[in-house]
Amino acid sequence: MDEQPGLSDQYRRASPWPLFVALGIPIAEVGILFDVFAVAVAGLLLFCGSVTGMLRESGYAETPWRPLGAFAILLFVVGGTLAFTDVNLVTRGYAIITAGGLLAAAGIGGELFVPKREAV
Amino acid sequence: MQITGQLALTVVMGLFLVVIAAWLAQIEDWRSYTPIGSGGATGESGYVSKEKPAGISRWLTTVDHKDIGLLYGAYGVIAFVVGGLMIMLMRIELLDPEMTLLSNSFYNSLLTSHGITMLFLFGTPIIAAFANYLVPLLIGADDMAFPRINAIAFWLLPPGALLIWAGFFPLGDIVPAQTAWTLYTPLSAGVGGGSQANAGVDLMILGLHLTGVSATMGSINFIATILTERGEKVTWANLDIFSWTILTQSGLILFAFPLLGSALIMLLLDRNLGTTFFAIEAGGTMLWQHLFWFFGHPEVYILVLPPMGIVSYVLPRFSGRRLFGFKFVVYSTLAIGVLSYGVWAHHMFATGMDPRLRASFMAVSLAIAIPSAVKTFNWITTMWNGRVRLTTPMLFCVGFISNFILGGVTGVFLASIPVDLVLHDTYYVVGHFHYIVMGAIAFAGFAGLYYWFPMFTGRMYQRRLGKIHFWTWMIGSNITFFAMIVLGYGGMPRRYATYLPQFATFHQVATLGAVLMFIGGLVWTYNFVVSWLEGPKVQDGDPWNLREDGMYTNEWQWFENKQETALADGGDEEEAVTDGGTTEAEAEAEAED
Repeated sequence: MDEQPGLSDQYRRASPWPLFVALGIPIAEVGILFDVFAVAVAGLLLFCGSVTGMLRESGYAETPWRPLGAFAILLFVVGGTLAFTDVNLVTRGYAIITAGGLLAAAGIGGELFVPKREAV
Repeated sequence: MQITGQLALTVVMGLFLVVIAAWLAQIEDWRSYTPIGSGGATGESGYVSKEKPAGISRWLTTVDHKDIGLLYGAYGVIAFVVGGLMIMLMRIELLDPEMTLLSNSFYNSLLTSHGITMLFLFGTPIIAAFANYLVPLLIGADDMAFPRINAIAFWLLPPGALLIWAGFFPLGDIVPAQTAWTLYTPLSAGVGGGSQANAGVDLMILGLHLTGVSATMGSINFIATILTERGEKVTWANLDIFSWTILTQSGLILFAFPLLGSALIMLLLDRNLGTTFFAIEAGGTMLWQHLFWFFGHPEVYILVLPPMGIVSYVLPRFSGRRLFGFKFVVYSTLAIGVLSYGVWAHHMFATGMDPRLRASFMAVSLAIAIPSAVKTFNWITTMWNGRVRLTTPMLFCVGFISNFILGGVTGVFLASIPVDLVLHDTYYVVGHFHYIVMGAIAFAGFAGLYYWFPMFTGRMYQRRLGKIHFWTWMIGSNITFFAMIVLGYGGMPRRYATYLPQFATFHQVATLGAVLMFIGGLVWTYNFVVSWLEGPKVQDGDPWNLREDGMYTNEWQWFENKQETALADGGDEEEAVTDGGTTEAEAEAEAED
């Protein structure tokens, strides 16, 4: 660092995703805790979508579709546990399942219909 | 009606997501991600041609540790102002014994929010500000180990603050929490009359939970950074004292905050979903206190260790000597870190817990005075026979030591069970911990702000205003907190908005000190804002003349390199001088006298 002053600033030092990951968490928490369907779904979509964006940006995933699918499965499991077991938090469970459904639709749709781009 | 409401909310949330997606699509070059072959992190994004995106986007999207440090700093300072204004309202209310200016319930709300704001929204973030900006520079790392997680940790804080303060905003029938920052059950579980079942308490708990998640993410990042990202020349043997304290603090956070998070979720479940973790017939009243203070006492050291690091780092620069007994300062930091987990029940001596347990907690609490005293003696011996320069940051460091001794010694008495049983829940306790959190922690924070102000802004502050700030605060804090100690000896209980007339005099004295600090705060705000905008530019990388004493350090070296590579501008501005030093013209004038 000392040998090349100022060079560190030339690396790419910006990412749009962290802000929305951080925004998604409280929105989802408020929605789920107070049982507000739309808020819960939107918060989960924002959180999962932003984490997916970040995974792709940093090269951990080639396309966003599989991380979206993984999040969908996770949400199905959590939502299913809330809605269909003794926990019995039905509406909250459905909100989480709905968010999972939307993510699954995006993931499957993207995987099937979006043409793959070649690496340059 | 209800369906329409749900529909409207769905549309609003949908629009919200669309707006975000549109903004993302506009600012981000999506295609840049695909060619993984070129390396994800250095892809051909639109940003590469410039160093950073311009304007507000830079701050919203930055993952640069220095920018995030500045964001943390701005956030911490704003929270400090909010918490300070809250306490000014309360101190003015306490000028007379009756309920006059504020309602009792509003006083309780302010009391709750003042504590949480200062500890979680000012204390932890202002430390993270210094750590983010400086640790990578000090240890020769390019950035933090996980830059994006760093950004997430910061961005969790603003929503956290909004949730914590939600009750003060005009949001339907939501009222602010009145639980005090300790959130003792069964009160905070919403049992009984009053407004404790109100959603305002839930929102505050959620906000608190978010700040905890943020602190945990930050701590993981600091541990990883200090363990793995050190430059070749930085070994464990020559790791600087500030990074040592940040490493220890991060370790404490890693064990303390997740526990707070879990306990808060249990509390939320009790309040909203009918669980019975803290119900009288289940966990009882003691379970919360044990869980809370197992987090809460290490939290004290989470807040005090890095400021001690700042003092240990800055004090030698203005003493012209290296830190006396460096190794032992590090050992005492680690010792405090370990011992801090064995003292939590000293907050609960008056609860009727088993006396044998109580005695063991007393022993460990008294023992923690030893490493604290080791540090104190090392600071004093560092100054001993040194070439002491009383610059503003140095004054704040010396003020720190003085206040820390007062806060520490009053703490030793509280650690003793028989004394504690008399003084428990009185203003003595309030005076004791304010000597530490305001007199010591905030003072060290301001020592750091003044010391690195030239680096953060490239300009020098007005030194006379800096000294006025210090003296108003030093005198003001001692008037206020010493009056509290006396009130405590008189038996004045904590947390009340009204009191018996016999306590009026010392309450008025305490308010006088608070007003003095308020004035000092105004001076500081003016000084920093004006100096940032139009202060004299720092001309070289050594504004404190550290090279004279051989005390120059990495972060100033980085600053000097940055100065040298920056484009030369007019350069006809007033010459910046060390606070305590003189310009050449002044020096000549003095010589002629």
